Amino acid sequence: MSTDWRNSPPSTNYSVDELMVTVLAEQFQDGDQACNGMASFIPVAAFMLARATHAPEMVWLASSVGLEPRPKRIPASTLEAPLWRDSVMYLEQYGDFWTYVLNGRWIGKFCVGAAQLDQYGNANNSIIGSDYHAPTVRLPGTAGLADLCSIGKQLYYWNPNHSPRSLVEKVDFISGAGYLDGGDSRERLGLSGGPQIVVSNLAVMDFHPDSKRMRLLSVHPGHTVEEVQAATGFELLLPADGVGETQAPTQEQVRLIRQVIDPDGMRKRDLRRR
Amino acid sequence: MKDKVTTLRQAVAMVNDGDVVALQNMATQAAPMALVRELIRQQKTGIGLVVLVGGMAVDWLATAGVIDRLIGAAVTMEQFGLCQQYRRAVEGGRIRVEELSESLLNARLGAGARNLPFLPTRGAIGTDLIALNPDNLKLIDDPFGGDPVLACRALVPDVALVHAHRADRFGNIQYEPTAIWPDIGIMPKAARRVLVTVEEIVDTDVLRRNPDRTILPGFIVDAVVEVPYGAHPTSFFPNYGYDAVFHRRWTEVARDDAQAKDFIDRHVLGPASQAHYLDVAGGAAALQRIADWEEGV
Repeated sequence: MSTDWRNSPPSTNYSVDELMVTVLAEQFQDGDQACNGMASFIPVAAFMLARATHAPEMVWLASSVGLEPRPKRIPASTLEAPLWRDSVMYLEQYGDFWTYVLNGRWIGKFCVGAAQLDQYGNANNSIIGSDYHAPTVRLPGTAGLADLCSIGKQLYYWNPNHSPRSLVEKVDFISGAGYLDGGDSRERLGLSGGPQIVVSNLAVMDFHPDSKRMRLLSVHPGHTVEEVQAATGFELLLPADGVGETQAPTQEQVRLIRQVIDPDGMRKRDLRRR
Repeated sequence: MKDKVTTLRQAVAMVNDGDVVALQNMATQAAPMALVRELIRQQKTGIGLVVLVGGMAVDWLATAGVIDRLIGAAVTMEQFGLCQQYRRAVEGGRIRVEELSESLLNARLGAGARNLPFLPTRGAIGTDLIALNPDNLKLIDDPFGGDPVLACRALVPDVALVHAHRADRFGNIQYEPTAIWPDIGIMPKAARRVLVTVEEIVDTDVLRRNPDRTILPGFIVDAVVEVPYGAHPTSFFPNYGYDAVFHRRWTEVARDDAQAKDFIDRHVLGPASQAHYLDVAGGAAALQRIADWEEGV
């Protein structure tokens, strides 16, 4: 565990993927259990950073398979065996993993990536277009997203390509339930939990406690509120006490990410995708 | 006990055109690719595929026109991107998708395995998956007074295709400690017929040394075929990793229908045996590379 990471001075040469990793890492604390799915380099880097700094007792289920693994570094896949190297336990994917997840007592937080996200935090990884059976683009599919969003978990979205195409007023298809139509529409279906924040390559957003509309919490250093609004497909709410600036990573956090956790720069792959 | 050992050809002859076929697969992991290639060689048509997260197998079956519907949670090759042939077939209306989340598919297969009309889950409530699929998903009241639950109708595939580490000739199947994908946990138990390829067929006494690793009893298995590297180019932990070179070669041709068909001709229809297939796929150098998990370190 690195003890001097928080007192370390702010980095002046970090890249945006490293900022996204540190923001996401802050959401995970000792006592949390987290797991990751496919193609999730930024969340995996965040979990490993949290465990190396402020949350050494945070539990990690790599690829939803390997409990408390010790990978040498982040490999080319966040699904395959090299990530679950040296695990304490292998979970049987359906019988075990989903039992722990579907039970509200365990694994309360999830990081979610989605092709489209709307103003109420509904997520789409299924299709682009208006006809489900003749889509413009067939996306991979919901996988476990539809489950995770409906079973009382706290959801942390990461979006490395903040644009009007990925942040839309209304998703073409709800493959993961956010706050649905806003207000109390989620609660009325008996669903607890829901989207907490969205970490993009430009800003950090949260959701208004009453209307459940997406709200601009902070913009990353070097970006402006106007720029973020222009890159968003709907009107972002602005907090009454003003929009902050996202805190830059410390030099020690950047060192850990670059030299220990992800020396091969796999986290940058998330930024290149779509 | 009945001897279940057979050939790929005879095993896949148990699949009929129009069948619902469940496939073990998780993106780049653990697909029974030798069985998939045999489906293509035998020119099966009208197959409905059930898969948790399909990878290259789904792309190949789409290219060859074997499948016209898919029941599953996702189709992707993870780091190698979307399955382009499958994607185009769906966009063009040639494959119809019944999209289920992981817990919904688990519930449908679990009900099938236990001979129940349905099993409930709380997954996917609030999503558009439910309105899309009124024949198989219904939000119902909890008979004991709690919040509503989603009833998922039983799914009984005609055939399940599985790859495992070893078996005896009676079809008792062993799996090494690893991620035991849902396909193994529930899918074969829901299916009417179970076809299994294994890395090796061993004497029953070998199974007796570690009976805890026997995950399917011979009495539910209809056919066993010994196919070393039977999951290539997907990974099969701990034996071998995914073949990244081969995956990249496929993704380079998969955007072009003619090139994709040539690839299938060369790698699927051409080779007369597993040994020949492995030669065409990269030979000893490829096998050494995947044995070392070279791409994933």
